[in-house]
Amino acid sequence: METPNNRQHILDEASTLRWEIGENLHDTLLESIYQDAARVSDRVVTRVGEKPRFDWDRTLDRVLTSRWLGFPLMLVMLTVVFWVTISGANVPSGLLAELLIDTFHPGLKALASNAGLPWWLDGLLIDGVYLAMAWVISVMLPPMAIFFPLFTLLEDFGYLPRVAFNLDSIFRRAGAHGKQALSMAMGFGCNAAGVIAARVIDSPRERLIAIITNNFALCNGRWPTQILIATIFIGALAPPALAGLVSAGAVVAIALLGILLTFAISWALSRTMLRGEVSAFSLELPPYRPPRILRTLYTSLIDRTIFVLWRAVVFAVPAGAFIWLIGNIKISQMSIAEHAIGFLDPFSLFIGLNGVILLAYIIAIPANEIVIPTILMLTVLSARMTGIGEGSGVMFELDDLAATMNIFNAGGWTLLTAINLMLFSLIHNPCSTTIYTIYKETGSVKWTLVSSLLPVVMGLGVCFLVAQLWRILG
Amino acid sequence: MNIKDSGACATCPAHNVANLKKLGVNMESADFVIALAGNPNTGKSTVFNALTGLRQHTGNWPGKTVIRAEGGFVYGDHHYKIVDLPGTYSLLSTSADEEIARNFILFGKPDVTVIVVDASRLERNLNLALQVLEITDRAVLCLNLMDEARRNRLDIDVRLLAKELGIPVVPTAARQNEGIPDLLAAIRQVATGEFVCRPHRIESTSKNLRLALDQLVARLEVAFPGLTNSRWVALRLLEGDARIVEAVQTGELAGLVEPDQA
Amino acid sequence: MTTQLASLIIAALSTTVLLLIFWPDAGYFWRWRRGLASTKRVLMEDALKHLYDQEYNGLICTLRSLAGSLAIGGDEAASLMARLQELGLVRLHHEGFELTAEGRKEALRMIRIHRLLEKYLADETGLSETEWHKRAERLEHNMTEQAARELAAAVGNPSYDPHGDPIPTPGGKLPPKKGVPLTELEPDEVAGIIHVEDEPNAVYAQLVAEGLHPGMTIRVLEKSAQRIQLIADGEEIILAPVVAANLTVERLAKGEEIKGPFETLTALGVGEKGRVLALSHHCRGQQRRRIMDLGVIPGTVISMQMTSAGGDPTAYLIRGATIALRKSQAEMIQIERLKEAA
Repeated sequence: METPNNRQHILDEASTLRWEIGENLHDTLLESIYQDAARVSDRVVTRVGEKPRFDWDRTLDRVLTSRWLGFPLMLVMLTVVFWVTISGANVPSGLLAELLIDTFHPGLKALASNAGLPWWLDGLLIDGVYLAMAWVISVMLPPMAIFFPLFTLLEDFGYLPRVAFNLDSIFRRAGAHGKQALSMAMGFGCNAAGVIAARVIDSPRERLIAIITNNFALCNGRWPTQILIATIFIGALAPPALAGLVSAGAVVAIALLGILLTFAISWALSRTMLRGEVSAFSLELPPYRPPRILRTLYTSLIDRTIFVLWRAVVFAVPAGAFIWLIGNIKISQMSIAEHAIGFLDPFSLFIGLNGVILLAYIIAIPANEIVIPTILMLTVLSARMTGIGEGSGVMFELDDLAATMNIFNAGGWTLLTAINLMLFSLIHNPCSTTIYTIYKETGSVKWTLVSSLLPVVMGLGVCFLVAQLWRILG
Repeated sequence: MNIKDSGACATCPAHNVANLKKLGVNMESADFVIALAGNPNTGKSTVFNALTGLRQHTGNWPGKTVIRAEGGFVYGDHHYKIVDLPGTYSLLSTSADEEIARNFILFGKPDVTVIVVDASRLERNLNLALQVLEITDRAVLCLNLMDEARRNRLDIDVRLLAKELGIPVVPTAARQNEGIPDLLAAIRQVATGEFVCRPHRIESTSKNLRLALDQLVARLEVAFPGLTNSRWVALRLLEGDARIVEAVQTGELAGLVEPDQA
Repeated sequence: MTTQLASLIIAALSTTVLLLIFWPDAGYFWRWRRGLASTKRVLMEDALKHLYDQEYNGLICTLRSLAGSLAIGGDEAASLMARLQELGLVRLHHEGFELTAEGRKEALRMIRIHRLLEKYLADETGLSETEWHKRAERLEHNMTEQAARELAAAVGNPSYDPHGDPIPTPGGKLPPKKGVPLTELEPDEVAGIIHVEDEPNAVYAQLVAEGLHPGMTIRVLEKSAQRIQLIADGEEIILAPVVAANLTVERLAKGEEIKGPFETLTALGVGEKGRVLALSHHCRGQQRRRIMDLGVIPGTVISMQMTSAGGDPTAYLIRGATIALRKSQAEMIQIERLKEAA
């Protein structure tokens, strides 16, 4: 009875019938469904008594989306979230670093030498793999464990869709979706999380834009770099009383530049590469609901923090080994790292960076958190300094700013190098965790490549421009 | 409507094991498969968590579950596998989420599809519920967020709603764990075939469409006897739904016929 | 100093050159790629389409009409026809040419692909109306039968293209031509637009600018040799007969109501209500389905709740949920205002 011929016949009949029904089948159908739905709900739903006189949702909405209060309230809310994150993360970050890096690391080393491990195995595993992991965890975990739950609470309460609602007019002008404000805010915590958060945007074009530009939100792993360099180089330009303010201003300026670039790139993409992608805006403003605090803490910790941290650790492990290896394998009296630095130096110096920085950005792709330790290690290595650091291939950081400054001086750093490093830290390829996440989310090699290569090219271009102008004017 | 014979297999699981495996569901040690469908913002994930406990919470990224979450629970003598489908407004628009949800219900043939609706916005939520009932006749309506409906002074005649839709309707407030035992009981009844659903089917207002549908349904019933959702399949063919066209062309549809009628 | 200046200048120059070459669509690289594609085969395929068009419209295809349509010289047109005759796709007929059965099949295949592409571009991309035809003309020559089938599936195996033209089935079936040119209507006659011709581009752009589209009901007010005055969606439009001839219409009974003009959702102030009458035809594809899924269908009562702090998206209460719509979307939803029941 059931034959392929028979089946094909059904399909042919369907195509012929389609001409008779005309074009708006979908419209007719949805109308019928809604008519039925209305009929059923009219029969079963009755309103008992009056609607409560005071409508909380409506009143809250009036305030939170009002022309005068909407934006200031939003700024206050976001400032509080960031302030709590940054100030709250300092202490646990320090504790974790002390525990994992200052206590466990020497401990493990002692254990290894007692067990008689060969020096290379000990170095590879403990100085390379373990240290990279420890660094990523101590820098990344505390801020994320604070930021994500706070963010999730706001979301659970229903505030975040209102932020998207308020900011949509700005994003619309850049060809993007208001919800990109949310993925961007998430990106300030972690770009990989920001890329995943772009899922809330259900319009294909706007979602791609949000994913590609998320990298311009200065993530948690890059703040420490910005703060360190700004304090040492920019703060030093101002009188001591103002140093703190000036360096903080410089960091904020970089973050704002990132936001500006987000809009600029979104605008350019929506008018060029993504012009043909389909765009369909929709945004539901769900009712406010009292957030369930414990539940939120638990799930955001498990789903977001641990999830992202795990991905980062997975990528940091091989990088740690790699970093140690290039610092220790020697070819004709010089480590691979030194060869690479020598090779990169001419070009890097030309664009106002140096070989150490470029090499650090290449080998520390897995996590921005380990860029500064890698730079310090490589500088000591290439400048052949003795008595500082932990030995070749071992990443380190110093508590003492003056000592850090000395290392940079020995590496031949200038104010230009510092400014360009801050710029390049903002405008370079996403870390490999984020790249992988972009691939998982878009499922497309093309868009993964675009989002990875576009920022590097831009970053190199910006450094080049700044360097040339600097030299002409200075 | 299609009334199941109370034959030998009234209590057999109806799900399609081969297709479920293809859809990536690990079917070991589960007697029944439950799908969870619903609009966004109806507390679908909360219902999922309430059913499965904290250990198997869904990966709840803002607003929606894109990765299909799975969990399991034991109720009575049976092991249940539960799959949280992406929250969608509809199953007709061919966006990626809707396709995932639609394909799961059609090809996976879950033993029960729990449709989570927002009790305070019943009319808009019924849009999806009615579409689900076109595809499957094994469903339970979970009337969630009853607390909000009460706050808005809405009274819902649950028994009348159940009669209109032809499926069990359970009022819940999953945030407060209210009504979850009743929901479990209703799921069991439908899964074991104790409760036989007679789902509401949509009446089309367009005469042209009705005629075209009748013609196609007759054809489909000859080619695939025992197909319970032939009208829906006919509709999808008229809309040119690629996945359904493929299912007809390859004869895949024949595999979805109720086992006791094929 | 000079080296820096020099390197800046070199960088600026090379960036400009790269942009000129690779700028999407207008860049030299893409133009060169398109140039490669415009081969003999493309001309032949276009010629077949022209022949079919003439036949469908009951006109005769001559060397002259062909040269005009393809924008080629008379000699080239002649050699093209000679080649098509050799291939057995075309034969002489009276004072012009006509398609053989084989040629008609090939022409229908091309037309199917072209119209599918237009439908796809209209529904599934963000490109504007005037770009659909141009894009489709370019893409159609590089599509395999398999790709065409996939494309058809992707847009839901449509039966009409966005201009109102029927799309041939894979077997090459096409319904007979319906309707008459707008120019044949007499004053006071009411008709529905069933087709808007997309060639030549300048005329099409004018029709689009006037907001004329398939599915619209019109009534002729006045007609003279110089101009046709008509009413569509409540607005008066004046067209030159040459332009009007590019609209195909189907006569409707005289009493048929002409609807409009309607208010749109944007007209509502805070707290005001309206009932949806229709969704504009500009709302198409995924956008249209999404809006309808959110509950915006004829008959839905919508009330305006608030405007965002930024001024643009406005939140509306639609079937119990608060949904934000952008102004551009709200403009596509036609409503009738409801008086507040006190």
